[in-house]
Amino acid sequence: MNALSQLSAAAIVRGLRAGDFLARDVTSACLDRIAQLDPTLHAFLGCRPEAALANAAAVDAANRRGEPLGALAGVPVAWKDNFVLAGEIAAAGSRMLEHYRSPYTATVLKSLEAAGAVLLGRTNMDEFGMGSSTEASAFGPTRNPWGRDLTPGGSSGGSAAAVAAELCPLALGSDTGGSVRQPASLCGITGLKPTYGRVSRYGLIAYASSLDCVGALARTAEDLALWLDVASGLDPADPTSAPCHGGVFDRLHDRRDLRGIKIGLPWELNGPGLDDEVAAATRNAAGHLRELGAELVECSLPNVAHAVATYYLIATAEAASNLARYDGVRYGLRRDVAGRCEAMITASRSTGFGEEVQLRILLGTFALSYGYHDAYYGQATRARTLLRQDFERTFATCDLLLCPTSPLAAFPLGSRIDDPLSMYLCDALTVPASLAGLPALSQPCGFASDGRPIGMQCMAPAMRDDLLLQVAHVYQQHSEHHLRRPLP
Amino acid sequence: MSSPPAIDRALLQQLAELARLHLPQDRLGVLLPRLQRVLAAFEALRDLPTSEAEPSPYPRPLPMALRLDAAEPALPLEQVLANAPRSAAGAFVVPRVVEG
Repeated sequence: MNALSQLSAAAIVRGLRAGDFLARDVTSACLDRIAQLDPTLHAFLGCRPEAALANAAAVDAANRRGEPLGALAGVPVAWKDNFVLAGEIAAAGSRMLEHYRSPYTATVLKSLEAAGAVLLGRTNMDEFGMGSSTEASAFGPTRNPWGRDLTPGGSSGGSAAAVAAELCPLALGSDTGGSVRQPASLCGITGLKPTYGRVSRYGLIAYASSLDCVGALARTAEDLALWLDVASGLDPADPTSAPCHGGVFDRLHDRRDLRGIKIGLPWELNGPGLDDEVAAATRNAAGHLRELGAELVECSLPNVAHAVATYYLIATAEAASNLARYDGVRYGLRRDVAGRCEAMITASRSTGFGEEVQLRILLGTFALSYGYHDAYYGQATRARTLLRQDFERTFATCDLLLCPTSPLAAFPLGSRIDDPLSMYLCDALTVPASLAGLPALSQPCGFASDGRPIGMQCMAPAMRDDLLLQVAHVYQQHSEHHLRRPLP
Repeated sequence: MSSPPAIDRALLQQLAELARLHLPQDRLGVLLPRLQRVLAAFEALRDLPTSEAEPSPYPRPLPMALRLDAAEPALPLEQVLANAPRSAAGAFVVPRVVEG
């Protein structure tokens, strides 16, 4: 049997039901591994070992009594630092919220608890989700398990590193423009951004409300299907949440091959600006999908060239608005200075927000300001319509779209942090699905010559998360990229 | 000939005031070229013909179901104030805003 920390979520659930081991032993194994590796990786910002072991013991007790176990019973789960759990700190990677303890719990964490998951601790992230390397965390960067001088990607870099290093089998992330998929790609694991609205965002600290999605990272597509069934559904506390069909996990194994699936390869996302090894690995994976029965077709998304600009104007405009709530009065950091109330607010925000957050607030304020609103924010919302129409046209003839997740594999820490534009361009392949609210999944599809993992991204029509996961599962049944691990 | 930067020093200072951020001169000197470079890269979007397109503030149509307009219990006052940097007598404390 594998070491318990190496087990997938599905294997843990199966093993517990079969009586092969105890939930407490699985949680202990993960906590031991965190103690061993996390001082170097810095994937976690806070752990709750006593509460986690108590949760696991409760699962074991229920199992002994013969009670039905939840879909994620005994599975240790980490969550990104921007989800709130009652009584726990939720800092969103920011000095602004360093001491904030939430009085309530996010819906997605409640769903996990109700399904028997063991909540281990919160993971590192770029401040308020604004970054692609986890270097914009106020609490220091996370290191990539595949190379300690490499970034894990971001903004859910802590969650990605934790899953890749087998500190836990499953972790929550949030994906605004690629913040689940890109770190999943750079850390050699599988990451899902569900359809916008499929998973409630109540209790997710807001960055850009028309883009923010709750997502998850795991080592297999099967585990993400388990999670999605637990997390999906209408939530009265989130008006953007939508009703949807469950049973994704149960239908996951219906498909043995990919016959009847037509996969489009948008040339704009599969050619220009890609690292050679990334392009080659994705081409090879596409060939493998064809061998499994899929039909590959060339296609085009003519307006995708404007996606990065569209995304950053909309996201920063919404961020400037969302982050206006941090005024040093009701919660968050406060810096008292002489003068009027405005002076206290300005001092608090200037102290509490890091450099990248301040830059994005300024960019968003510009995009919304008098005289510039229509030319920038307004234009971006219209460009978003054109991009969505591109997707609609393409999905009229294709079931899925395929491209790399990131134009490049994991890059060195410090190599891009002082150049925002080069960091923003890392998101070029992930922001299109975000702007259109589409489900998208990244999974390992190869390795660079120096061993860094490479991920490919599949996108599906809205609410076809089930198809994404089925196809990913079939691929993982016939490939071994997702099985390679960075650390002993 | 390239177009002039969309943001200059004076506009950036004004944006900082609107956003309630203090930008000392050295920070302003760092941020200004970064913002100018980002906006220069976004210029092509302004030339995209969009007159036929409706704006999409959200990515796709959503039911946007609203809750019943019924009062529900609020958080207890002590929980609301627990995260306040300064509070007194069951209220948030802010700097004096009325002279007198």
